Amino acid sequence: MCVGLSAKVVSLKDGMAIVDASGAKRSVSAQLLSDLNPGDYVMVHAGTAIAKITDNDTDETDNLLEEL
Amino acid sequence: MTDVVTLAHGAGGKQTSELIEKVFKKHFQNDFFTADDASVLPRPAGKIAMTTDGFIVSPQFFPGGNIGKLSICGTVNDLSCMGAKPLYMTCAFQIEEGFPIDQLEEIVSSMEKTAAEVGVKLVAGDTKVAGRGQVDHIFITTTGVGEILEGVDTSGAYARPGDAIIVTGDVGRHGATILLSRDEYGIEADVTTDCAPLWNPVEAVLRAVPEVHVIRDATRGGVGTVLYEIAHESNVGIQLNSEDIPVDPGVRGVCGMLGLEPLYLACEGRLVMFVPEEKADQVIEILKGQKYTEGAAIIGHVTEDMAGHVVMTTEIGAQTLLPEPGNELLPRIC
Amino acid sequence: MADTVTKEDTLAKARRILKDYDGPKVRIMEVCGTHTHEIFRQGVRRILSPKIEMISGPGCPVCVTDVTFIDEAISLALDHGCTITTFGDLVRVPGTKKSLQIARGEGAKVKVVYTPLDAVEYAKEHSEEQVVFLAVGFETTTPSECLAVENAIKDGLINLSLLTANKTMPAAYEAMKDATDLYLYPGHVHAITGNKICEDLLAEGVSGVVGGFTGKEILTALAVGVTEFQKGKPFFKNCYPRVVTGEGSPQAMALVNKMMEPCDQIWRGIGLLKNSGMKLREEYGAYDARRKFDLSGIVGKQNPACRCGQVLQGELKPNQCPCFGTACTPEHPVGACMVSSEGACSAWYLYGDLATKPLEDK
Repeated sequence: MCVGLSAKVVSLKDGMAIVDASGAKRSVSAQLLSDLNPGDYVMVHAGTAIAKITDNDTDETDNLLEEL
Repeated sequence: MTDVVTLAHGAGGKQTSELIEKVFKKHFQNDFFTADDASVLPRPAGKIAMTTDGFIVSPQFFPGGNIGKLSICGTVNDLSCMGAKPLYMTCAFQIEEGFPIDQLEEIVSSMEKTAAEVGVKLVAGDTKVAGRGQVDHIFITTTGVGEILEGVDTSGAYARPGDAIIVTGDVGRHGATILLSRDEYGIEADVTTDCAPLWNPVEAVLRAVPEVHVIRDATRGGVGTVLYEIAHESNVGIQLNSEDIPVDPGVRGVCGMLGLEPLYLACEGRLVMFVPEEKADQVIEILKGQKYTEGAAIIGHVTEDMAGHVVMTTEIGAQTLLPEPGNELLPRIC
Repeated sequence: MADTVTKEDTLAKARRILKDYDGPKVRIMEVCGTHTHEIFRQGVRRILSPKIEMISGPGCPVCVTDVTFIDEAISLALDHGCTITTFGDLVRVPGTKKSLQIARGEGAKVKVVYTPLDAVEYAKEHSEEQVVFLAVGFETTTPSECLAVENAIKDGLINLSLLTANKTMPAAYEAMKDATDLYLYPGHVHAITGNKICEDLLAEGVSGVVGGFTGKEILTALAVGVTEFQKGKPFFKNCYPRVVTGEGSPQAMALVNKMMEPCDQIWRGIGLLKNSGMKLREEYGAYDARRKFDLSGIVGKQNPACRCGQVLQGELKPNQCPCFGTACTPEHPVGACMVSSEGACSAWYLYGDLATKPLEDK
């Protein structure tokens, strides 16, 4: 139940954010996240930005495996 | 003339003649276009190929094309897949009353332009007008006849182990374009249809490499469906490499949002070719030099084992089956 | 270029760990349908050591949606004239007699939307229609559905309601913990809930890793999981910290707790799990389709031949069900596991046993 898509915040207005996922844009709810800014990356699920993304997946997985 | 199509336009009388004169004749002018009951045509020297297709699309106008362009491309591409130079076409229109005449003219005008690109002649037509609600705006059926190039013999049953599999451009753009045009999911992306008449690149390839085994156009069901068709018809396995499949970033984004697979989205200007391995680079080079096929790529090859299946090397380097397409495409959100 | 090199290195290392794993036999359960889907799509099972077994747990909300829920939705559409708005996958789930797709052919108005917020927009534009959104999903999705109600209230809409079947993961984790040695926790659920549940389960001796959803993220989480498992002590590790923080999303949880309260919930194939669901609180009754329309007396009946329940609990492989591939196919599903592309039966049907057989690399 988790089809999520990472997307970049393009603009914000009235609790909604326009997000861009490699060229596909959509308006999604930003009501669950405070202090969002254009340029931030968010995880979008079912039309709502559910989390702010703080790193890219390459660095993250690299670091995790580094420790093994 | 009124500015919408009325039932009178389909009744066969004065208004019908007026519509033919002002809209169809204006755009379908050639020596063979006839006012008689059938057109009389010279017989080509070689074998002929013949095909027919009905076109229903909502909306009728979309970025990069409309139902008229689609109706020519569909039939031209079907003929091209058999190595047949498109010569003559007929078209039948079913129009809902109230359809704006200027839109009809735009549709007919794109048909003229698209047909001219490959030199096919529209030689006969028919118009029927249906009452409101009986037709979704406009339906078009086209039939085409072409002459098969000498020495060319393609079929879905001719794929052989070792063949390289080529797709003539990025996949899934038409399907994504229509999905976005319906505006059901509120997504915007700079995606236009791939709808294009492909005889010219096909001719260029076949003149240089007549031994191409299979050419098929990927329409409904996308490239994935074509690959399964060929795997069954030729009783061979297909090995794909997911990283080699060209996908427009916008299409990828749309698919990501809706949980769809680009390989199953419709194309209207993409062919899948199976060519002997040693000819693959030459074919790619020719395609890259032709309009509409600049983005051609080798996406995989034919194997002897795994007959009837399409196996894909995934991003993580594992081998898995590409699921056989089926069912209505519903966005997978949850 | 440098990027590609690191990517391949990481992937290669994760693959090597998973392929060469020679520790004690380990059963790993993925509890999220999207994990199941990606694991099959990417062919993850095929590159695992024979000592690692993946089990698909009950995390596909479509698959665990009870028959009665579908019957209620159909009744709302056909008997009460409501417009049903829903996520795409629910459309083909069989009820007792039919699916919403079949009901649509009989005149039911069923509209597929991308988000519950679109149902609000639709209700706004069609004030003459009673619009019902089919609220399924776990912690990840429930906040969006609460937002829809909140926005409907803000807009003064009186023609939108939810038919709720929302579920929560902890009950499922509890119920399934004996069937697995190690959970692959769904990152997007924990982006909302945080990791306290995982820490609590760890205290009971249940191990797990939180993972993301790309092929690389899944392999990484699994590689970390089996390496830790080999050490022999229960553990928990968040392998998706770029999205999942320890505390999760307090805003989302506050919103859900304001509007909803726990309730018992029936999971298709598993049965009733105490406090495993969420429903709208009484003060939001005007937005609760069950309070607004009379749906009493609707009790669905599952096709008795269907073994979805045992499949969901990892007791049966999909192809061991008597309906599998004959009476039950993706085109004509009998059980919900065959409907959703996230469902274990559907995945098994589409990818065949090839999905699990190890295969040498080419």
